[in-house]
Amino acid sequence: MRGKIGATLGKVVAFLLFIGWAGGVWGADPSLCLSCHQDEALAKLDASGRQFSLYVPEAEYKRSVHGKLSCSDCHQGIRDDAHAAGGNPMRDRVNCGVCHEKADQEYQQSFHAQTIMKGTEKAAHCYDCHGKHAIYARTDPQSMVYPANIARTCNQCHSDKEFVRQHALGMGPPPGELFEGSVHAKSGEVTCTSCHGSHDLRSQIDPKSMIFRSNIPQTCGSCHPDITEQFMESIHGVLAARGRSDSPTCTTCHGIHGIKTRVDPDSPVSERRIAMTTCPQCHAAERISEEYGITRVQVKTYYDSFHGLSYRGGNTYSANCASCHGVHDIRSSSDPLSMIHRDNLQKTCGACHPGASENFARGKIHVVASIKGEEFGEKVVGWVRVVYLVLIVTVVGGMTFFNFMDWLRKTIERKPS
Amino acid sequence: MTRQYVRMTLNERVQHLTLFINFTILVITGFALKYPEAFWASPITDVPRGMVFRGLLHRLSGVAIIALGGYHLFYLLLTERGRGILWDMIPKWKDGGDLWETLKNNLFLSRPAKAIQMGRFNFREKFEYLGLIWGTIVMTVTGLILWFKTEWLMFFPLWTFDVAQAIHFYEAILATLTILVWHFYSVLFNPDVYPMNWAWITGMMTEHEMSLEHGLELERLKAEKGREPTEFREAAVPGRGRAYPVHPQEKRKTFSIRRVYDTVRDLNRRIRDWKGGP
Repeated sequence: MRGKIGATLGKVVAFLLFIGWAGGVWGADPSLCLSCHQDEALAKLDASGRQFSLYVPEAEYKRSVHGKLSCSDCHQGIRDDAHAAGGNPMRDRVNCGVCHEKADQEYQQSFHAQTIMKGTEKAAHCYDCHGKHAIYARTDPQSMVYPANIARTCNQCHSDKEFVRQHALGMGPPPGELFEGSVHAKSGEVTCTSCHGSHDLRSQIDPKSMIFRSNIPQTCGSCHPDITEQFMESIHGVLAARGRSDSPTCTTCHGIHGIKTRVDPDSPVSERRIAMTTCPQCHAAERISEEYGITRVQVKTYYDSFHGLSYRGGNTYSANCASCHGVHDIRSSSDPLSMIHRDNLQKTCGACHPGASENFARGKIHVVASIKGEEFGEKVVGWVRVVYLVLIVTVVGGMTFFNFMDWLRKTIERKPS
Repeated sequence: MTRQYVRMTLNERVQHLTLFINFTILVITGFALKYPEAFWASPITDVPRGMVFRGLLHRLSGVAIIALGGYHLFYLLLTERGRGILWDMIPKWKDGGDLWETLKNNLFLSRPAKAIQMGRFNFREKFEYLGLIWGTIVMTVTGLILWFKTEWLMFFPLWTFDVAQAIHFYEAILATLTILVWHFYSVLFNPDVYPMNWAWITGMMTEHEMSLEHGLELERLKAEKGREPTEFREAAVPGRGRAYPVHPQEKRKTFSIRRVYDTVRDLNRRIRDWKGGP
C-alpha cells in the first residue's frame, strides 16, 4: 500500500518536474502541435519505406478519454524545437506504462510483447487494440475494446490472410470468421478476450495461458462452472488434469472458435454427429486405442448393433454413445458412479426401455460375434454366422447352378437349326 | 382353342399377393436397417423420422405375414381343396427321382432330354413351399424376440437376443436369395414359362405348361370323369403367342395396345363373371 502511494506520488512529482522543464519550449497546449498535425496530408516514410500518416484528428482526440491531456504527456520523446523543423524524429514509442502501470506489466508478459521483443513489428502494441488518439473508455460503444467491437479489433490482424500466412496461424478460415457463426458470438456476451485474455494474452504452449490444454476446462468453467465440475471428475477430466495430451478437454468435442449449440446439426456434439465423428475421432483411432487399451471394437460393434444401425440411418431416437455413457460425466465402468457401472445399468437401459428387468441389463453389450469369442454368447453368435454362411453359399449356390444348367439345356433345345 | 387348367383359386391368388407385397416390404425395410448407407435405402434414411417409420412398417408387415400364415393353416385344414394341397405337398421318393432325372437332363447326361412326368406339385415347388414354411416360422420366432425384448429378457440371457438377431438377419438373406434365384427362375426366367407364368394373376395354366411341369396331374385331371377342363376362346387367353417361334420364323408379333387391351378386358370379364369357386 505504502509502495503504491509512493509510486503514484513519484509519478506526480516526475510529471510536474517534466511540465516545468518542457514548459519553456512549447508548453502543454496542443494547439501548437496541431498547427502542423491537423493537416491530413502530413506524412512521412517509415523505416521500411511505407507512407505513414502524421495527421491527428483533433475532434476525436478531444472526445477521447485522453482529451484533457496535452500531446507531450504521452509523446515524451519529443523534446525540442528541432522536431517542429522536421529534423528530429520521434525517438521512442509512446509509453502507456507511465500511467497504466498494471496493464503494462501484464502486457510485458504477453505473447504480443514477447514477439515484439524478438524483433517483429507485426504484433499488437497498445495502440493496435486501443487506438492512438481516439481512445475511448471500454464502456463506450465507440471504443475499439468495447466488448461488441473486440472481435473486429482482433480481426484487423487475425483475419488478415497475409498476416495469418506469414505467422503460420493455419490454413483454415480465420478465427474471426469461425467465431461469427458460433453460439458465443450470437450470445453477444463472449468475445475473443473472454477466452484468450487481453493484456496478458499468452501463447497456447505457455502453461500460464488461458488456452493452455489443461487450463481450458477452467477457462470455459468461468461461465460454465457446473459442467467443468462434472468434467473434472470424469475419466476424461482426470486424465487431462494429469497432463495426458490425448485426453479430451472441452474443445476436443465442442470445437474451438465455431462452437455451436447441441441442437445445431453442424455442431460436433449434435445428435447426428456425436457417434459418427466426435467420439470415434479418438475411440476409433489406432494410436490412442493401443496406448490406452480402449479397442476400436466399441465403435465398430456399436455401428453393427441395432442402436448403431438405426442411428446410422438417421434415427436420433436410437441410443448413441452419450445415451449410455453420459456426456461430461463419462466415467469408467468400474466407477460406482458411472452410468455403465454394473449396478446402474438397469436404470440406464430403463431410461429408454421402460420395464427393463435386472436380467435385461446383465450381459455384454459391445458383442463381437466370433467362434473364438470371449464369451459363450459371442461364440454361439459366431457359430450361427458360420453355419448360415455355409448354408447360404451351398443352398443358393446350388440353386443358381441348377437353374443355370436348366436354362442352358432348355435354351439349347430351342436353338433354331 | 387351348385348354386352361385352374392352378390357383382367387382365394389362393389373394393369399399369394398378400405374401408378395408384405415379403417385399419386409425385405426392403429390413435390409434398409442393416445397410443404412446403401443408395436404395435413401428413400427411407433421407426422410425425417424415416427409420422410425421403417421399423413400424416392418412390424406391420410382419404381423400381416403371421396373420396370413395363421389363415393359411386354417385354409389347409378346414377346406376340401386345402386338404388336397396339403396331401399333394408331402415330399415323396419320386421327387428325389425327378430331381435326379432333371439333373441328368440338365447336365446333358440323358440325351435327348427325358420328359419327366411330375405331380400336382413338382419337386421345385415342394422344396420352395417347405422352405417358405420353415422361413416363416424362424422369422416369426426370432422377430417376436427382437420386438418384445423387454419381456424376453426377463427370462433369458442377453446373448439369446444376439443369437435371435443373427438368425433373423441370415435367414432373411437366405429367404431373399431363394426368392430371387429359385422362385423367379421358376415363374419368370424358366424358358418354359418366360416371360411369366400367369397363374398368379389369372389362376390358369395352359395345357402345354401343365404337360411340361405337371404331366401326371394333367393325366389325372383328364382321366377324371365329370370334370371337363374349362375351355377359353383362343383370342382371350392372356399371354397368347407365348410359344417359342416355329422355324422358319414367322413374322414377329410386335407389341400392340390392342393385345394389352384384350388382356385387361379379359381380366375384367373374369372378375365380373366370377361366381365363386374356381
